[in-house]
Amino acid sequence: MIPVGIIVTFLGFVISLLSLTLASSVTGRLVLVLLGLAVSLFGILGLLNRAYVKRAIWKQG
Amino acid sequence: MRQMRKNLLVLAVAVVCCAPIGWAQAPAPASNQAAAPTASTPPATPPKPIVETDLTGIPVPSADARAKGDPDGSLTGNASDVTVADSKKGLTIGDLANQVGQNKIAINFVWTLITGYLVMFMQLGFALLETGLARAKNANHTMMMNLAVYGIGMFAYWLIGFAIQMGGVGAVVNLGGTAPLSAEFTTTLFGKPFGLFGQHGFLVMHKGTYDVGVMVLFLFQMVFMDTGATIPTGAAIERWKFSAFAVTSFFFAAFTYPLFANWAWGGGWLAGLGTNFGLGKGYCDFAGSGVVHAVGGVSALAIAMILGPRIGKFSRDGRPQVILAHDIVLVITGCLILAFGWFGFNPGSTLGASGNGNLRISSIAVNTMLASATGLLGAMFYMWIVYKKPDASMTGNGFLAGLVAVTAPSGFVNPVGAAIIGLIAGVLVCISVAFIERTLQIDDPVGAVSVHGVCGLWGVISLGLFADGKSNYGGAWNGVNGSVTGLFYGDAGQLVAQLIGVATIVGFVFTLSFLFAWVIDLVMGQRASAKSELEGLDLPEMGAVAYPEFELKSPS
Repeated sequence: MIPVGIIVTFLGFVISLLSLTLASSVTGRLVLVLLGLAVSLFGILGLLNRAYVKRAIWKQG
Repeated sequence: MRQMRKNLLVLAVAVVCCAPIGWAQAPAPASNQAAAPTASTPPATPPKPIVETDLTGIPVPSADARAKGDPDGSLTGNASDVTVADSKKGLTIGDLANQVGQNKIAINFVWTLITGYLVMFMQLGFALLETGLARAKNANHTMMMNLAVYGIGMFAYWLIGFAIQMGGVGAVVNLGGTAPLSAEFTTTLFGKPFGLFGQHGFLVMHKGTYDVGVMVLFLFQMVFMDTGATIPTGAAIERWKFSAFAVTSFFFAAFTYPLFANWAWGGGWLAGLGTNFGLGKGYCDFAGSGVVHAVGGVSALAIAMILGPRIGKFSRDGRPQVILAHDIVLVITGCLILAFGWFGFNPGSTLGASGNGNLRISSIAVNTMLASATGLLGAMFYMWIVYKKPDASMTGNGFLAGLVAVTAPSGFVNPVGAAIIGLIAGVLVCISVAFIERTLQIDDPVGAVSVHGVCGLWGVISLGLFADGKSNYGGAWNGVNGSVTGLFYGDAGQLVAQLIGVATIVGFVFTLSFLFAWVIDLVMGQRASAKSELEGLDLPEMGAVAYPEFELKSPS
């Protein structure tokens, strides 16, 4: 889960970066950047954090 | 009736929010007309050029007069103090011009150095704030992390970080040129040059960087980096192994921070979004809501996630438990010291007080004050209304959140914009702290992720909304002519540039921080043992407790 979370988080950054070439209008770039941001946030909060919370200290023992 | 009250409240908020937009779009005030000649006032005569003969025979105080002392200061500092190149020739226009130029640079050196010293003083604010919020059994450990990060961070930044960040920045005209910092590693992406990292300035000796202007820049940038490096310690107190903290801090100062700082401030690709892709003036971050605070904040998030919560922070069903701060006096003292240091952080980021629109330092200082006030009020009233008490530590966090948020836009917004930015940050930090603790179940004892991460990102975005297009720092910013202008004043492209910066911090900087922290965790372990944690980290990690003359009884 952790490696997947890292990849997805980075993928969000790549999508935002690609907005510079995939779209030429300000609105198009805005949409792609926001999409990239959402993907990164999913990677951090939905995948990485969930992986750590699953094995959190209060759930052990 | 209730609905009507709600509608009135919404209307009032809308009026307050729209007011600055309306004012900014109003026609230029009549001050320009006042300067025009009228029938009663003759036109001003143009200034007369100075010629060499004007410089001969300038009266200077005699040696006898000077020997009697100068109690009122009227004799000290005159034409005889101007350095002359050739004493036989006496004072020339060339001497005068050189002296004026050196005075300008001297003013900027002194300004930048003194504001840098103020930023260094913020280390004390962080130390007191974090230690106050820790339990007494971890006070020594927390203070020591805040002290050690200064040395570790500086050493790493001196070795590697500064060169990566500033090695290719080019001419910093306010500091006399900084000519040796001229080598940026650049690649081509999407048919445009992408600056990735600097290559001159290792050890502040490499490739001619043993230079007075470079030294000023190094000192100022170093204390900024150390501010960022201190942020993760707040999210990790009471459970971070000291050795892992030391290694993590070294990587932060050597690589993580300098890379993003290069992209934003060192001539890298984010700064070039304006020239290369027509997005406003490129990514703008006047004093570092993004570069310093959000980068520190997302690194803090990565470390807090990897460390996991403190023992006793969550009950078995996952509900958060209150772990009380041991000294609220330290917390508030720390907040006030930080606010004082912020007058170095933001106005100092002009890197000068003379030339290139630098008199705007007054506006930047006022914006800084206002945002801290509205941030404080926003958090205090939010806590008062929602939780029935104006909680001191959250009010302190709101105070800092306002400052963090206004750091990026402070150089580009008007006072009303700054006040709104601070107010939103003050409320945002309260909501964020609750969300991170209750929903994400991440233990961030001081609220570092919310104050610096979330509000830092809000600061970056707010610049893209509220920049009013009135600032002028030499006619251009990031190589694009004109003034930085946000969405509310007509430039949507600036907001997109800011959002690309946000996406880079969240997607790239977080990933890099997480990878470093993860590898360190795998190799040496990030978290102290449960036994040490329960005992308090002071004795097991540092070998001494902070308060040896008191018996410590922890509630958990």
